[in-house]
Amino acid sequence: MNQKEIKELIEFLIEKDIAEFELERGDVKMRIKRGCYAAPVHEVQTVPASGAAAAPVVAAVPPRAPKPAAEENLHLVRSPIVGTYYESPTPGAPPFVKPGDVVEMGQVICIVEAMKLMNEIESDAAGEIVKMLVKNGQPIEYNQELFAVRVRA
Amino acid sequence: MVISGTKLAQELGTNRSEVWRLAQQLRGLGVDIVGRPATGYQLRTVPDLLLPDMVAPQVAGTIFSKHIHHYYRIGSTNAAGMEAAAAGAPEGSVFLAEEQLAGRGRGANQWQSARSAGIYCSVVLRPPWPPSDALIVSLAAGLAVQAAVREIDPRLEPDLKWPNDLLIKGKKFCGILTEMNAEATRVRHLVVGIGINVNQRSFPVDLQEIATSLRLESGTEWSRVELCAGLLKSLDREYRSLLEASGARQSILRRFEENSTMVRGKTVTVEDNGGLEGVTNGLDERGFLKLETSSGPRIVLSGTVRLKT
Repeated sequence: MNQKEIKELIEFLIEKDIAEFELERGDVKMRIKRGCYAAPVHEVQTVPASGAAAAPVVAAVPPRAPKPAAEENLHLVRSPIVGTYYESPTPGAPPFVKPGDVVEMGQVICIVEAMKLMNEIESDAAGEIVKMLVKNGQPIEYNQELFAVRVRA
Repeated sequence: MVISGTKLAQELGTNRSEVWRLAQQLRGLGVDIVGRPATGYQLRTVPDLLLPDMVAPQVAGTIFSKHIHHYYRIGSTNAAGMEAAAAGAPEGSVFLAEEQLAGRGRGANQWQSARSAGIYCSVVLRPPWPPSDALIVSLAAGLAVQAAVREIDPRLEPDLKWPNDLLIKGKKFCGILTEMNAEATRVRHLVVGIGINVNQRSFPVDLQEIATSLRLESGTEWSRVELCAGLLKSLDREYRSLLEASGARQSILRRFEENSTMVRGKTVTVEDNGGLEGVTNGLDERGFLKLETSSGPRIVLSGTVRLKT
């Protein structure tokens, strides 16, 4: 099962609102569990999981992001692409945004790079950046949460 | 052939002093026009400038023939491409420059862009894909440059270094940087920027060990117009097959593996991610580099890969 199929499966589960799913096929064993706040978690055992958090690993389990407080109207900006997260346009330059900044819909808030393709990630909500959920230079999984935005009322 | 000023003026519908003024202007741009007293003007050599009028006819039938923009001097063709694409520039728009003042590279790297010695080319693409499908363009662009160079000089052996640097005898002559703007599920535009060292006769001391040009490697002067047209044609070929042909992705992955000596069985270090070291083991189905390390298999998403010496 490749990344794309896993992606499609997850999307299917979200679409049908299925909370838990288990699959065993050959050497692939997968368990997907969807929670209220946590990102879809998937584990594929074809590649031994790595201990080092900073290392690039296929199908690494996205770290469970610190759960932002539920009472607020928080929106999570996710990455549409696998890659390395950059908080600024070039190393040493000031970051695109920092906590407390107010962003508009469509404003570029970071870059995720893979294979020398720099993907400008835009905020898909207008409001205040409350939390940055990943660190500069960190490898990012597909759909991983990057920012928590307090949506403007 | 010498043509009299009177005849030129007639054909252009102007007068002789205007012909003289135009000739002066062309000389200023590097065109070699000789003025012969009492006989006329002679065009000695056509300048190797990446002018739309020179490039477009050679790329007729490709997606790149209609919107070629040329600059004598520009900050960065990628920046111009991204700006124009955001403002609605159509797919296939091409941005060419004789000189870049701030050529972009990965991270803090700059691309040395000497005047009229290299090709500095950015193209706008608008593939109807989700963003994660666009990564393959990075590999396809490297293959396109390699094919274009080989077509002109089959003796050269340009090697691909993952993801898309091109080297000859271990020295880099081409770098590619792609920038993307996308919604969560759909690419809005991609700008693929390609810098090729073509006719440089030397490099600054700090680059001599790592950089080269096609002229230095082949011993002859290259036509940048010819190479640029060849590059756009092979880019067009790769991109169209990605849009139209099933199996195009697999073909790119397979050809990349066939045309890169570094992608399998070589001990390399990866600069990013805290200095990874391992033996290359081909590409995965997304095009990422597989590495066997002492602590198990790893997938490299980005970063500079270097042969361990």
